[in-house]
Amino acid sequence: MGKILCATRGGEASIQTQDAAIARAKEIGVELIFVYIYDVEFLARAKYTLRSDVVSEELDRMAEFLMTMAIERAKQQGVQASYTIRHGDFDAELASAVNEEEVSLVILGHPGKEESRFELEHLQEFASKLQEETSIQVCILPE
Amino acid sequence: MKQALELKFPLSARRLMPCLGFAVIVGLWLITQARPPETAFAAGRGVAGRVVDSQGEPISDAELKLYINEGREPAAESHSQPDGAYLLALQEGEKVSSVRVEVERPHFAPYSWRPTEGELRILVEDGSFVTHDIVLARTIVASFWIITAIFLGMLAVIATERLHNTLAALLAMVLIFGVSLLGGSINPDLYVFTFKQALEHVDFEVIFLLLGMMIVIGVIEETGIFQWLAYQAYRLSRGKVWLLAIILMSITAIASALLDNVTTMLLITPIILEIALAAGISPLSLVLPALLAANVGGLATLIGTPVNIMIGSFVGLGFNDFVLNLTPGVIAALIGLMIFIQLRYWKEYRKAGAGLSPALMKQLEENGQIRDKIKLLKSGIVFGVVLALFVFGEQFHLSPAISAIAGAVAMLLWVNPDIQEMMGVVDWTTLVFFIGLFIVVGAVQEVGLLAITADWIGHIVGENLLAAILAIVWMAMLLSGVVDNIPFAAAMLPVVKFLTRTIPGAENNSLYYGLAIGADLGGNSSLIGSSANLVVAGITERAGYKMTFRKFLQIGLPAAAITTAIGTLWLIIHFV
Repeated sequence: MGKILCATRGGEASIQTQDAAIARAKEIGVELIFVYIYDVEFLARAKYTLRSDVVSEELDRMAEFLMTMAIERAKQQGVQASYTIRHGDFDAELASAVNEEEVSLVILGHPGKEESRFELEHLQEFASKLQEETSIQVCILPE
Repeated sequence: MKQALELKFPLSARRLMPCLGFAVIVGLWLITQARPPETAFAAGRGVAGRVVDSQGEPISDAELKLYINEGREPAAESHSQPDGAYLLALQEGEKVSSVRVEVERPHFAPYSWRPTEGELRILVEDGSFVTHDIVLARTIVASFWIITAIFLGMLAVIATERLHNTLAALLAMVLIFGVSLLGGSINPDLYVFTFKQALEHVDFEVIFLLLGMMIVIGVIEETGIFQWLAYQAYRLSRGKVWLLAIILMSITAIASALLDNVTTMLLITPIILEIALAAGISPLSLVLPALLAANVGGLATLIGTPVNIMIGSFVGLGFNDFVLNLTPGVIAALIGLMIFIQLRYWKEYRKAGAGLSPALMKQLEENGQIRDKIKLLKSGIVFGVVLALFVFGEQFHLSPAISAIAGAVAMLLWVNPDIQEMMGVVDWTTLVFFIGLFIVVGAVQEVGLLAITADWIGHIVGENLLAAILAIVWMAMLLSGVVDNIPFAAAMLPVVKFLTRTIPGAENNSLYYGLAIGADLGGNSSLIGSSANLVVAGITERAGYKMTFRKFLQIGLPAAAITTAIGTLWLIIHFV
């Protein structure tokens, strides 16, 4: 059995997803990898041109902090966990992470009403496509 | 696509682009400086005076022709200067029995004038005299409607984010040139101005001040000072979140006043978010107050916001003027904001948890460290000198733009001599936006829209300074939450100038400060009110805490109302 990959951002809405992934990893006794994916597209909404290198550096640090928190949650449950931080398009980066790691299960959170960046339809479509391409089970948690 | 671009522009050429941008801006500035020499007022024989509009504003480039003895060919010709002054010089000894002066200027009704008998006698005797102001009446022609539509279209496109604001301003500028130069050659009623006349509307003081400060900030932002300050705030507060909120708000307000709010919030938001998680509270309850305070703090100084920079340059207000006339009001507004935040988040702050694990504490400490101590020391010294130049330079006629450029050059020489890298930190799109915007607003001014708006507001407020302050502050505050406050403020400057001249007591520039208060504090009234809001929303969303329009409005709108009310009160106490 390979590792479990859990896509997370670290906010309140992600805690449920993290807990579910931790519980699953503990149940089957495998390593858990948290993957944090971000882009800096929001900079285009500002009226000024901002330095994406400086912003990326700060977001990397923030992501490390958030992922360290996630790992601590896993450790408290006796689950061995690590993390990977990626920049760019969510779909492409997640597919790439799945291919690079020895993963047997991908866990995605259910899109919330306000907090989520994604629509449920988009996530379901993406999960089906990823499952077809990699033959790895992709699970979207129930609401 | 990217590869094709790289083939077209090899590395050296791409590195040269920012330098070329700098050269273009300097070149444009030089063009606008190349004016014909001022006419001597004390000529031998002739007529001198000024051409003004109905609001007493000088009119430049009016064509004046002086005819003698009812002739068909003018005996003297002249154009009015930027201050409206003209001189029609006659040859000495030429016999004069009658004189007629005709004045023409696009967007104004033609004007004809004859001297009095006494004035005519002076000319007959080879003398000269200064006559009364020639007042030209505005005419509304086709260009008025077209330029107004282009201007409003530009504001709408920016507000709805259909185009980037720089592209919107450039498109509007190109359309205006098309109407003026191509359309004007077919129908004179479409003429607005020439390219050179358009460039005269560009305020290069603003462009150079922004340019200089961008380089200065570009160096400082790499030192890690913002993150270090936030971490020190966390340590100092010793777990008291209410105190942490106050310290963080003070830090972002001061940093925004001296640097800029977007950079401050961009760098400080991630670590505030971490601190909030460390304290066991919702990150938005610390990030939002810091953001609101940053938007308020920017109002305190000349360099705090682009709106203040525009106002300062337009009126000739220096760094000290803003500090003396706005900073006390800003401090009062910040105190009001802090009280509001404490009341609003009291329950959340009381929820603060036990603290962090050693691993997370180490991570937070690492994230809050100074990244480059030498660079911080050097850039701190340079920035201190620049601030001193802002404060004391006025005594030596040193404009803020020159002080900022001097600081930028010092940064380049002493801190980071990589010119290509440093030119890369300059936000050229914003500078181009300002150039386009100034030309668009110049066109709106030329066709008379701003004069009509000024008349309309003047009619409503009459000669009541208090009513004018209230109208300017609150109109600017409400509109800044919906439309970009920079084009709005740029368009309002000539309007406020008229009101300042016509309303008794307004010569203390209180209406300009009112415009700054409304336009700057209005940025807190909605999520789209300021770039800093959008940047912070983007960062918090990436940490899983989405700052929606509604969530922001619930806190931002009352905060904007409270701070604007305090700012208005300060203006009234200080000026009325």
